[in-house]
Amino acid sequence: MTRYFAIALLLSLPALASAQTPAQPAAPAGDPLKGREKTRMCEGCHGIEGWRTAYPEVYRVPKLGGQHEAYLASALKEYKSGARSHPSMRAIAGSLSDADIADLAAYYAQGGVKTASQ
Amino acid sequence: MAGMRLLLLIASFALATVAHGADVTAGQAKAKEICQACHGLDGNSAVADYPKLGGQYPDYLAKALRDYKSGARKNPIMAGFAGALTAQDIDNLAAYYASQPAVLARQY
Repeated sequence: MTRYFAIALLLSLPALASAQTPAQPAAPAGDPLKGREKTRMCEGCHGIEGWRTAYPEVYRVPKLGGQHEAYLASALKEYKSGARSHPSMRAIAGSLSDADIADLAAYYAQGGVKTASQ
Repeated sequence: MAGMRLLLLIASFALATVAHGADVTAGQAKAKEICQACHGLDGNSAVADYPKLGGQYPDYLAKALRDYKSGARKNPIMAGFAGALTAQDIDNLAAYYASQPAVLARQY
C-alpha cells in the first residue's frame, strides 16, 4: 500500500511542478513611485472623498486606496478594452499604456500614500 | 412565540427604516450565504483578483451589483450571484459591506 502511494506520488510530481508554473508570464511589476506621478487624471474624482459621478448615474466613485493591485489593473484594462463601460473611465483608461496601468495599480494598492523613501 | 416573532418583525422593520431602507443584519446573513467565500465576511478578500469591499461606498457597491445583475458589467462569476439577488438584497449587502471596518484607505 505504501509502495503504491509512493509510486503515485512520484508520478504526480511533474504535474505538481507544472501546476506551479504560471501559464502566462506575469505582467511587469508596477512601480508605485511612477504611479504617483501618473494620478493627475485620477485625482479629480478619486482623490476627493465622497465625490460623486454625475453621469450616467449618480453614485460615489469607488475608493481605490488599499485595493488589491491585481484587481485595480484588471479594472483599468477592462475599461481600456471596453469590456467594462463608463464614459469617463473608458476615455481615461484608453490613454494609459500597460506600464501606466501597472504603475497606477501599484500606487493605489499601497494605499495611495507616500512611501518612506519620499 | 408568535408575539415574539411579530416583535422581531416590527423591530427589524424599524431598524431597516432608520437605515434608509437597507437592513445591515439581513445583508450580513446574505453575505455569509453568498459573498463570504470569495470576498470574506468583513470584505477583506484574501484573493488578489477579487476586490476588497469593506468600507467601500454603499452606493458604488449597489451600482456594481445592479450592473452585474443587468449584464451592463460582465463577469461570469458575478452574473450568477447578482442575478439571484433582489433589489432589497442588493441594498442590504451594500449597506453591510460599507459598514465593515474600512480596509480601503479613507482618502482615495
